[in-house]
Amino acid sequence: MIGLGETIAFWILGPLALAGALGMVFARNAVHSALWLAQTMLCLGALYMVQQAPFLGFVQIIVYTGAIMMLFLFVLMLVGKESVDSVVEVLRGQRVAAALAGIGLAVLLVSTLGRAFAGVTAVGLAKVNSTGGGNVANLGRSLYTDYLFPFELTSALLMTAAVGAMVLAFTERSKQGRLTQRERVEARIRGQRPSPLPGPGVFATMNSVATPALLPDGSVAPESLSELLESTGRDRLDAEVRSVVSAGADPDAHALRGPARSTPADQEGQE
Amino acid sequence: MLGGEAGVGVVAQVPHLQAPTVDYGAIAPVLIVLGAACLSVLVEAFVARSARWSSQVALTLLTLGAAGAALGVHLYSFAADGRNVVTLAGTISVDGPALFLWGTLLALGLAAVLLIADRSVEPGGAFSADAAVRPGTAADRAQAEGAVRTAETVMQTEVFPLFLFSLGGMMVFLAANDLLTMFVALEVLSLPLYLMCGLARRRRLLAQEAAVKYFLLGAFSSAFFLYGVALLYGYAGSVSLARIAEASAGSNRPDMLLFCGLALLMVGLLFKGSVGPFHTWTPDVYQGAATPVTAFMAACTKVAAFGAILRVLTVAFEGTRWEWRGLLWAVAIASMVIGAVLGLTQTDVKRMIAYSSVAHAGFLLVGAIALTAQGLSGTMFYLLAYGFTTLAAFGVVTLVRNADGEATHLSQWAGLAKRSPLTAAVFAFLLFALAGIPLTSGFTGKFAVFSAALADGMAPLVVIALVASAVAAFFYLRVVVLMYFSEPAIDGPTVSVPGAFTTAAITLGVVVTLLLGVVPTFALNWAALGAFGS
Repeated sequence: MIGLGETIAFWILGPLALAGALGMVFARNAVHSALWLAQTMLCLGALYMVQQAPFLGFVQIIVYTGAIMMLFLFVLMLVGKESVDSVVEVLRGQRVAAALAGIGLAVLLVSTLGRAFAGVTAVGLAKVNSTGGGNVANLGRSLYTDYLFPFELTSALLMTAAVGAMVLAFTERSKQGRLTQRERVEARIRGQRPSPLPGPGVFATMNSVATPALLPDGSVAPESLSELLESTGRDRLDAEVRSVVSAGADPDAHALRGPARSTPADQEGQE
Repeated sequence: MLGGEAGVGVVAQVPHLQAPTVDYGAIAPVLIVLGAACLSVLVEAFVARSARWSSQVALTLLTLGAAGAALGVHLYSFAADGRNVVTLAGTISVDGPALFLWGTLLALGLAAVLLIADRSVEPGGAFSADAAVRPGTAADRAQAEGAVRTAETVMQTEVFPLFLFSLGGMMVFLAANDLLTMFVALEVLSLPLYLMCGLARRRRLLAQEAAVKYFLLGAFSSAFFLYGVALLYGYAGSVSLARIAEASAGSNRPDMLLFCGLALLMVGLLFKGSVGPFHTWTPDVYQGAATPVTAFMAACTKVAAFGAILRVLTVAFEGTRWEWRGLLWAVAIASMVIGAVLGLTQTDVKRMIAYSSVAHAGFLLVGAIALTAQGLSGTMFYLLAYGFTTLAAFGVVTLVRNADGEATHLSQWAGLAKRSPLTAAVFAFLLFALAGIPLTSGFTGKFAVFSAALADGMAPLVVIALVASAVAAFFYLRVVVLMYFSEPAIDGPTVSVPGAFTTAAITLGVVVTLLLGVVPTFALNWAALGAFGS
């Protein structure tokens, strides 16, 4: 029999849980989505407690909602929370079809399950919980006797997850090829250029650090380009280098004009 | 209710736990594989980078050998008394089919690990040296195209522990005697596969897309599986397969619950076996993943998934077969038609073999729903035969290369027989086996499965299956014609000379394909050794 208190709790918690689930699916912002999911989990935890499974209820709240969901939220915040929902449908009519199929499945499940459960008398946990040391002790016993093997097998899952996180996220920094502080100092002082490298041409034409600095003759200063940024500036430099290769002297910073073109044909090629 | 009786007295009245008995001899192969997987993680942590590849390969090969030996020892006693061992509180059932499929998995795993470990075809190995590097950056290009392989650019050896975890999960999956163990094993086998898909050295964006796609769809199908388990628990009051069968035999419980549960459960299982309308991940993932991983997935995942399908249907749902069989007829037909027709339109070798695997999944399902001893042994024989053929076929795909890596577009395979007669001959033989031409294992397997289905009164289904095989044979033969009767392109791919590992794997696959086609009796007898026990 379902008591009055349980009925009241269900009609309060059930709609809240459903609202949370819908909110989770439809929220645009990933953080809001996660918070909606937390609401659903909290409601479910409370429902478990009402249904005589106190341990499961507390685990749901403490571990799922408290630890896992919050960790999830941290990751979302760290990685960035902007939503980039694609509005382009790769297959035409896919969303409508998917929505119809999903609603159809839901209707099918709800109606058949509703019919199935109508003829079932509910068996509460009260009897089980009052024998063998109570809810927690019974759960512990199942875990270490009947379900010992699956329980141990989950450790393989955890290990796989740890290895996977290492593989996908951890870059080993190589020691080779990195200069020590002393080597850097010597290279700077004894090298060709004791002064700092020219800054990028920020604000000359645009505000990107990928913009190259220009020499007085209008050509690109190679030192102003970052090796790391794959930029149009680098492409422009490459194009220039290609166009002036075998074209005579290097660009002269003191000259007012660029290097003289060797042949008219070459010049045509430039334009 | 909420802790009213909590306190010291409660703890005192808890009886002592009786630990479940474990038949270590019977489950030794699983324990060896999973234990070695843990050891392999430690190797990854403590062995110097330069020595890791060799230690991992040695450890993995040793593990497979030891697990095979343990299986042999148990098989010896099993052949003597035919006793099915149900151990670990009824969660694992080591019976005839489980032993046969464990042997199949270990043998296929050996061939797959040889492909995975190979470093000669793709210098440094088919796996990324550093999977954390963003695709397309300078560092990524350096690891993909650097001609000289230093210790820094050889493959990431984490793929070996992942392989062992996945193999262990597969072995548990097909021997699981209750749905909860089956679910955990499903995750243990899938999670490493998702990761391995994303570790390819070349075309990394494709590989990562494949991994994400496989992960998302796999998680979705796991949810279906779990929902089904919950409904079946609601029906039977237990997750044990035998208890579900008992509950469904003459009870007044609502059947709706049983069939909803079965349908959702089967969605999860059929997804893993890449059957019919649940196949959409297959071509993309097979194409995107590094080819050795594709070979492992195509061969071993299918064995595990169909082992589990056979067990679930036979042990738990045999009594209600007339209610659900019509639906699985439809699924088998859909799978065969989709695989055969869409396979015709493919222009990429890996995608073509992927669609062929969808068609083969349909053929396997024909045998699996027969639910007779003949159907069981035929399906298991088919799994063994198909696994080795497809593994060797993917092994050959790794050999045909140009400067960008594998040349998988069909037009690049034109005239391959003129460049490398041996490779073309081997591939043609494997395609004949996939098509089911006599004197190959494909023919014997199809014969075993279809005759079992006929004997069980499924003649219309067999006719459809024969038509589908004829259609599928067309696209296999098209490749053979392309290889033998076309002029090779000027800038076509070259065929790499394989190293010892890849040669061994391909040879193993070809020899097994030939042997099972010419003298199949031994394997057929072994497959018919026992029935499911629970």
